[in-house]
Amino acid sequence: MKNINQIIKQLTLMLAICTVVFSCTDKLEENDGQLAADDLDFTNSDDMILPLIGSYSAVYSRGWEDPLLIGVRGDDVNAGGLGDQPQFADTDLFIYDNGFWMYNQIWENFYGDIVKIVSSRETIQLYKDFAIDDADLDKADKYMAECKVLSGFTHFQMSRLWGDIFIIGSSDITAELDNGVKTKAEVMQYISDLMDEAIPFLPDARPNERQDVSGGVTKYTALAIKALAQLELEDYQAVADVTGEIINSNKFNLYPNFYDLFKKEGELSNESLFELQFSDYGTESGAENSHEYGPFGPSNWTPVVTGASEGWGFYEPSLKFIKFMLDRGEMTRLITSVNFTPRGIDEITSDPAYATLPSFISNVTPDGDIFNDYSRAMFASGKHYLPSIDLTPGRTRYGSGKNLLVIRYSEILLMYAEALTQGANGSAGSADQAVNEVRARVGMPSLTGVTTDDVMDEKFAELGMEWGVRYFDMIRLNKFEELSYEGRIFTAEDKLLPYPQAQLDLLPLNQ
Amino acid sequence: MKTKISLLLMLFFSICSFAQQVEINGIVTSESDGMPLPGASVIIKGSNRGATTDFDGKYTIMAEVGEQIEFSYVGFVPQLITVGGEKQLNIILKDDVASLNEVVVVGYGTQKKADLTGSIATVKSEDIARTPSSNVMQSIQGKVAGVQVVSSGTPGGSPSVRIRGVNSYKGGDSPLYVVDGMFYDTIEFLDSNQIETISVLKDASSISIFGQAGVNGVIIIETKNGRIEQKPVFTYNGYSGYQNAQNVVKMANAEQFVTMAYESNSQPDIDFVNNAIQRFGRSRVNPNIPNVNTDWYKEILRVAPISSHAIGVTGGTERTTYSVNANYFSQEGILDMKNEYERFNIQSNIEIKLSDRFKIGTNAIFSNATQYNPENGAWFQAYSAVPILPIYDNTNTEATTTPYSDATLLGYRGTQNPFPTMEYNNNQLKIRKVLTSMFLEYELVPEKLKFKTSYSHDYSTISERNVRLPYFISSQSQRAQSSIRRAELNYSKQIWDNTLTYNDTFGDHSLTLLAGSSYRDYQDNSFEATGNEIQGIDLESSWYLDFANPTTFNEQVKESGDREYSIAFFSRLEYSFKDRYLLNATIRREGDGRFPREIWVTTPAVGLGWVVSEENFMKDNNTINFLKLRAGWGQLANGFLGGSAGTRTVSTTTADIGDTQMNGILTTNTFQNLKREILEETNFGISSRFFNDKLSLEIDYYIRDTKDLVLPKDIPITAEVVDTNIGEMRNQGLEIAANWNQSINDDWSFSVGGNIATLKNEITRIDSEQGYFDTGEAEFRQRLIVGEPVNAFYGWEVAGVYQNEDQVAADPTAQNEASANNNQLIPGDLIYKDQNNDGKIDAEDRVVLGSYLPTFSYGGNLNVSYKNFDLSVAVSGQTGNKILNRKRGEVIFTNDTNIDADFATNRWHGEGTSNSYPSSEGRRKAWNQKMSSFFVEDGAYFRVQNIQLAYTIPAKSLGENMPEIRFTCTAERPITVFSYNGFNPEVSDGIDRETYAVPAVYTFGVNIKI
Repeated sequence: MKNINQIIKQLTLMLAICTVVFSCTDKLEENDGQLAADDLDFTNSDDMILPLIGSYSAVYSRGWEDPLLIGVRGDDVNAGGLGDQPQFADTDLFIYDNGFWMYNQIWENFYGDIVKIVSSRETIQLYKDFAIDDADLDKADKYMAECKVLSGFTHFQMSRLWGDIFIIGSSDITAELDNGVKTKAEVMQYISDLMDEAIPFLPDARPNERQDVSGGVTKYTALAIKALAQLELEDYQAVADVTGEIINSNKFNLYPNFYDLFKKEGELSNESLFELQFSDYGTESGAENSHEYGPFGPSNWTPVVTGASEGWGFYEPSLKFIKFMLDRGEMTRLITSVNFTPRGIDEITSDPAYATLPSFISNVTPDGDIFNDYSRAMFASGKHYLPSIDLTPGRTRYGSGKNLLVIRYSEILLMYAEALTQGANGSAGSADQAVNEVRARVGMPSLTGVTTDDVMDEKFAELGMEWGVRYFDMIRLNKFEELSYEGRIFTAEDKLLPYPQAQLDLLPLNQ
Repeated sequence: MKTKISLLLMLFFSICSFAQQVEINGIVTSESDGMPLPGASVIIKGSNRGATTDFDGKYTIMAEVGEQIEFSYVGFVPQLITVGGEKQLNIILKDDVASLNEVVVVGYGTQKKADLTGSIATVKSEDIARTPSSNVMQSIQGKVAGVQVVSSGTPGGSPSVRIRGVNSYKGGDSPLYVVDGMFYDTIEFLDSNQIETISVLKDASSISIFGQAGVNGVIIIETKNGRIEQKPVFTYNGYSGYQNAQNVVKMANAEQFVTMAYESNSQPDIDFVNNAIQRFGRSRVNPNIPNVNTDWYKEILRVAPISSHAIGVTGGTERTTYSVNANYFSQEGILDMKNEYERFNIQSNIEIKLSDRFKIGTNAIFSNATQYNPENGAWFQAYSAVPILPIYDNTNTEATTTPYSDATLLGYRGTQNPFPTMEYNNNQLKIRKVLTSMFLEYELVPEKLKFKTSYSHDYSTISERNVRLPYFISSQSQRAQSSIRRAELNYSKQIWDNTLTYNDTFGDHSLTLLAGSSYRDYQDNSFEATGNEIQGIDLESSWYLDFANPTTFNEQVKESGDREYSIAFFSRLEYSFKDRYLLNATIRREGDGRFPREIWVTTPAVGLGWVVSEENFMKDNNTINFLKLRAGWGQLANGFLGGSAGTRTVSTTTADIGDTQMNGILTTNTFQNLKREILEETNFGISSRFFNDKLSLEIDYYIRDTKDLVLPKDIPITAEVVDTNIGEMRNQGLEIAANWNQSINDDWSFSVGGNIATLKNEITRIDSEQGYFDTGEAEFRQRLIVGEPVNAFYGWEVAGVYQNEDQVAADPTAQNEASANNNQLIPGDLIYKDQNNDGKIDAEDRVVLGSYLPTFSYGGNLNVSYKNFDLSVAVSGQTGNKILNRKRGEVIFTNDTNIDADFATNRWHGEGTSNSYPSSEGRRKAWNQKMSSFFVEDGAYFRVQNIQLAYTIPAKSLGENMPEIRFTCTAERPITVFSYNGFNPEVSDGIDRETYAVPAVYTFGVNIKI
């Protein structure tokens, strides 16, 4: 009997242990160290800005290859970095290998950003659903409109590179993919419509006038993107109307010093409609957030500030561009756009027509940095060059903390001018006025009776090396002979990049 | 060193002083093979005096006439001898074949070896102690069929251990280590000298009881412990030696390099050579090459020391057993920078019988290691650095620190010189682990029903300190600001297990029933901060964040943490009838919070055995002493898949808005929501012994399927990769291990053993539209295809090299390339095989180029002993695996670098010079840089794993108080034969870019035992 009692006692103890063990099972529902999207406090309207900043961070953080690949096929620029990244150089020669990593990387960069932006917009919508105050409701509408502008910009870059692409308007990717690939015209129209949706809710201000998100997008950024989309659609009247609205707002003007516009002095100027922002916060060390300007820089230089790092020499302004500028008697825009090396200067003068060069052509920049010879390229991109004296002391990275300009007011003026020369009616002055405003800033004489070709030349001079503006103008206008330069032959099949092999494997795409 | 040993000896001698009894010594050997039995116990019945035999089976004990001495050893019939006054007693123990009492530790208990139905292999302590390494697992390389050990050359590095192939793409392959009943993911804290046995549980029916943690196999390690009434045994084990790089890759020298630069027809490359001539002068021998010829590999290598010292005592009293050990290990790296590993361990193991039914025990290990990590980038830099660059460049007057050379000053894209990284980076880790456990065991019904509860806590901290010293060599080779990154990682793993075991015998039936629960709570946390501008950076005493500029911490402080719970209930039945028919059945139900989609999973397993030799028709058979047929089936769930969020999650980000940082959040569009992979394995085996147990033979065949295989799926558009259950994989193989032991006469004995294993790994299902799944980097594609091994290298097959223009003109694929892609091929370019004969080379012509998994591996050993000498030789090798030579393949990213001598010698440089290597010019072209069979090389190797020669001075043979002393000379990995163009054919994932070279190790050791 006693024994049984003892066994019962022992069994009770074990039962107690079992109970403890079982009671631990609710721990299995816990998920430490992660924040679920549903757990955000949507009633706190002050947090509504967080997903918006998330969208900006997605758009600002561009891979180094993005602007390079977008721009390299134009006749304003050649692939440098000879002996390195041969498929990048091939792309410049219109030889496309759809297995080249850059194509896929850029596809993923932009689409990845689009998904982040639409998801952020949906998150803001959730905040709006819980908002009560009118001020908060307005704020939600404004933020969502900003997301639309950023989405429009990314779709625009995608469609220019690949033509027909998927439109992603919601985070339900499966449903979006079911809608199929849209033609380039459909995509451009979508972008234009998306801007129309956004405009009523956006601040009527210049980006640098914004208080809450300094340098963020405004109504005019949306108009500019709409104009770019309409230009691709060759609806010149729409381009004239939209750009005219920007001009007539009288909010924008050209930054007086063209050279400084592309340096730190010119950041968030009155000329800027859209700009990717970076900073080292003026600190010697610690965190910095920079675009990788290395590919644009020289791979051998003697900077004024000892220790300032050089670049990789991957992006070389073309001889064609330089000679074009010399022919026009350009000075400011030439020395702003191009950094010369001694070897490059010799190459220009080896052409008897250019045996004597103006004295301003030098391998020493206006800020004193000396560009030496290097094998990869003969010239470097001046608009992406930050003088070593502009570096925050302690920082050595090439172009550290410099912003990357995307849409400038001069482009708006020249789009307006082109639209008029293409037969559109404008309400913001004549084509001559628009072109001459751009020319006056850099000390170029006025023109009268400008033609489309004049405007194209002006765009070449003004916007060379920037975001493939030249290349996409030339393919829009079917000026293949311009792109067939320095031994290249451009044909209609070369307009678009092939879909990356990895995406063909993944998506219902047909090349 | 010398003084240390003599100090220890004095210490030991002073303890040893017995008297009045007869001293008896002798040797204990095994009857079947005549081999000495080390570790046999020699106990005087009814007293607390005892001894164990040494490496050579020798013992010494004091006894009075009339006392009884019991000699025993697991697996042998014990012998009782009454002392009659003789000074020497040589004992021959009979193998306990009939009952096969040798027990093997299985999950939550032990089982007689004869009753096992699964596949379990055992390695004994003497085979482990031969390998000089910080990690015990290195010593089983080549010793167990079906276990692949890939060595690590890094000081303190852990080898990767793979049991029966790869079961999971995502879930890693590292096995579960069970050390004295406690569970660990890694065992780098264990000292080889402490280990008694290592058992490798290979098949699902054996592993099942351990649940998801054991999915990659279980390695059970028992450490040495004392026995009841054993007098204290003091030991010292030490060795010291050096490590030397083997099979150093020969690189192109300056002359070859310059020749190739000229042949490249790339003007920049030729310019760079001329720049080097201008800067460093011309060679007097050949004026076309610079006066520099650097062999970078030779420069970054060094001979590095390794040593280990361990002291310990084991013993037991009437009611307790104990083992207390201390061990010091140190190893420097063969890379010429501060990279080393130093570890000090103390360990104690105590068991106390409180009463006949009540037992408690505790085990504690404190391991304190300091590790300096190498800069592995230096290996790749040394491969790619051009030989026309010296280490130092005295023409560089700008340099404010050591004037190391900088290849960018010659025009190259990279700085190339590995020395700045090696000198100005310092990566320290302090790894401290406290591993404790306690158990309490109570017999509810004596000899029948037992309850055991055990708790273990594994608390580890890793203090990381990465110091980056400032230097200035040139604007491209500089670090303006010093920085220190400090990271504190800590892990706390608690396990609480409860089991109830019932065993009983009724007539011919014997039965053991186990039921239990296991509760686990794993936490980890990491906290890190980086600061710049360290004051007094030149002094190591200032390497604290306190001396950093506080404003630089901005955005450089991070914390992350995680806590996981799991709980399991399990049960096992072991049943045998007449010791002939065996049944083992296990079931385990496990809940894990990391899998919100399916928290609970139940896995069954069953094993059957038939001991044929117990049947009447086989009994008393002299040829076949033992024969057992085994079959097992079981399921295992894989829990090593990372936690599933199960819902969209939020991460933080920042954007620079008007030069200030603003906070933002991003929501993922996708999330992971996994089921656990289920492994299902069927195993058939034979265990047998022949010719009076001289020959033992184990054969196993297994088929293991992984269902719901998890693969990282690219989610279209989102640029997000999400792990998803989308496939199935199968591993199957045959494993054979054979051993022959024989004693020829009193002086001579030998044993020889060998094992082979085959492995066929294949993907059996892929749930994707294309029917395949891409992995690896886009440039070095690996693909999962049904019917092919996991992560197969995938690319174009090289058919030859174009020898002349006519051949190019005659080849339709070359003509297509020219017309369709504007790419004119020339002699010296590779010819790819047009697999689908469509006249063009494109993505469709890619084929599987091989797998990193060996299809066949083997090992062997020979032990010979003559009197006091013994010699052992172990060999191992593998075939059927391929290695991607990414060092060569990296030319796709940067092509102005150096190349190995093999390429330089064999390159195409004119008609008839090569039909497999491209020309120097071709090397730089995208066409020849495609992932092709040119970059995928044979990874087969044969290695002499270990040679050890030892001489033992038996105890007291040199004097009354002299202990047993054993001297050893060991060569670890002295010879490796392979064709791969790299240091080392052992590359865990088959992709060789910057693998730390695995050195040969030569040591001299001393073991002392009192």
